[in-house]
Amino acid sequence: MSKSYSGKSFSFHPFSKIGKTTTRFFEFLGKYLSITWWMIRNLRNAKEYSRNITQQMVMIGNNSIPIVIFVSTFVGMVTAVQSSYQLYDWIPRTVVGALVTKSVLLELTPLLIALVLAGKVGATITAELGSMRVTEQIDALEALAFDPISFLITPRVLAGIFMFPILIIFGDLVAILGGMFGASAVAGIPVEAFISGMKSSFETWDAVFGIIKAVVFGYIITSISCYLGFIVEGGSEGVARATMNTVVLTCLTVVVMDFILASVLL
Amino acid sequence: MIILRNIFKSFGEKHVHQGVNLEVRDRETLVILGKSGGGKSVLLKMIIGLLQPDSGSITVDGFEVTTMKYRELQKLRLKFGFLFQGAALFDSMTVGENIELALRRHSEYKESDISERVQYALELVKLHNVEHLMPSSISGGMKKRVGLARAIALTPKYMLYDEPTTGLDVETADGINLLMNELKTTLGVTSIVVTHDIHSAFVIGDRFAIFENGRFILTGTKEELRSSADPEVRKYIESEIQI
Ligand SMILES: Nc1ncnc2c1ncn2[C@@H]1O[C@H](COP(=O)(O)OP(=O)(O)OP(=O)(O)O)[C@@H](O)[C@H]1O
Ligand SMILES: [Mg+2]
Repeated sequence: MSKSYSGKSFSFHPFSKIGKTTTRFFEFLGKYLSITWWMIRNLRNAKEYSRNITQQMVMIGNNSIPIVIFVSTFVGMVTAVQSSYQLYDWIPRTVVGALVTKSVLLELTPLLIALVLAGKVGATITAELGSMRVTEQIDALEALAFDPISFLITPRVLAGIFMFPILIIFGDLVAILGGMFGASAVAGIPVEAFISGMKSSFETWDAVFGIIKAVVFGYIITSISCYLGFIVEGGSEGVARATMNTVVLTCLTVVVMDFILASVLL
Repeated sequence: MIILRNIFKSFGEKHVHQGVNLEVRDRETLVILGKSGGGKSVLLKMIIGLLQPDSGSITVDGFEVTTMKYRELQKLRLKFGFLFQGAALFDSMTVGENIELALRRHSEYKESDISERVQYALELVKLHNVEHLMPSSISGGMKKRVGLARAIALTPKYMLYDEPTTGLDVETADGINLLMNELKTTLGVTSIVVTHDIHSAFVIGDRFAIFENGRFILTGTKEELRSSADPEVRKYIESEIQI
């Protein structure tokens, strides 16, 4: 009796909501970390699921190529147009090539492609695993003595870690070409000037930094979306909610990690 | 032998199981009857450790399930075939791949024997030429039967059937009933069947357990059911007479 009374009065306390939210956050984080730990400990089983890994590499990699080409082209073009607009007349136009290369490699391609793929890849993964959860397919896997984390989550995360850098290197190339085109077609900067600017400013570390970001973003997006799909409750409505949460949470985590990586590594 | 002792399980404020006791003897078919949403599916899942009870004990062949380590649990699960209520076919795989999956991983069958084994399992559930179809393109009744084929492919010692005949036409349902009896007599399979289909229940069941408000209010043979005066039990008997 006294227990239920104190429980009730507590729920009217203004801090109880904050308390509950905090508890749920740590519960959530704890579960996420324990799944991550399980994944790492059972990594040696991964080769048994190599077929799943190749499947997921196709899903995450090949299927994202069109959207990566599209986004990168426009990123390159708009960067070229804007940087030439921002420059004073007495600054040599070769600078545009340098600016486009730097900003594309360091920031724009990795970040924008990660945000687009957070929607495309992340939402697909959550919807897929979520509907497997609500239709008892994950239970069925377990009933057949499979480890659903090694079977479903590990292949997706490995595929993400592996394919994101490839997509982003590819996106870098396309974006620079787009920039070259934008510079010559819209801002009237000759291709030779663009290329000489690009050559003078190119540093390998810039590209490497972009690739490190790609690995981190690939991990973040696939692991969060797998986790949110894996724990879905409440039917197809629950799947829809989880899918939306995935897009929001992965985008937020990506921009925060973008800042952290830049602060630490640059 | 499966023994459940004093099982309690709640989801938040919803107290689903409140002191469940049940014994399933070897080579018998025990039928669980009970209201929708009562907690029958959850009970089946607890037996193979897919869900944990809040308290109580579950033993299978003398081993405690609730405290099992993961590896032991996986070994235990291989003794079981589980037909899920909604069939739970893997919808990214063909019918054939659904059945092969566990065979490939957990059996010693050679590649050529695997497809033979798939054929055999499908024949048992009276399906032909469906291996290459995707689950999304077959009917609900066919899904159930594929789910059943998948469950029996590894010749389990125990079968857990969650509403095996619900949503099937009479003829197919009779076929499934026959198959369940065949598995018992030829392979000595021990089964727990959750069903709403009272006709099917009396065709396949050796004993019956009536689940009501979080516990079994009666467990016994058909005769014991018939002689019960409990109004909740009478409901089931009377609905059979109407048929
Ligand atoms: N994972 C879960 N989380 C929260 N509640 C659950 C969960 N699984 C089941 N429940 C709840 O437990 C209760 C029992 O569910 P269960 O599926 O076992 O019923 P059932 O007896 O099989 O019913 P039916 O005949 O309709 O299949 C339901 O009220 C359900 O909402
Ligand atoms: Mg059920």
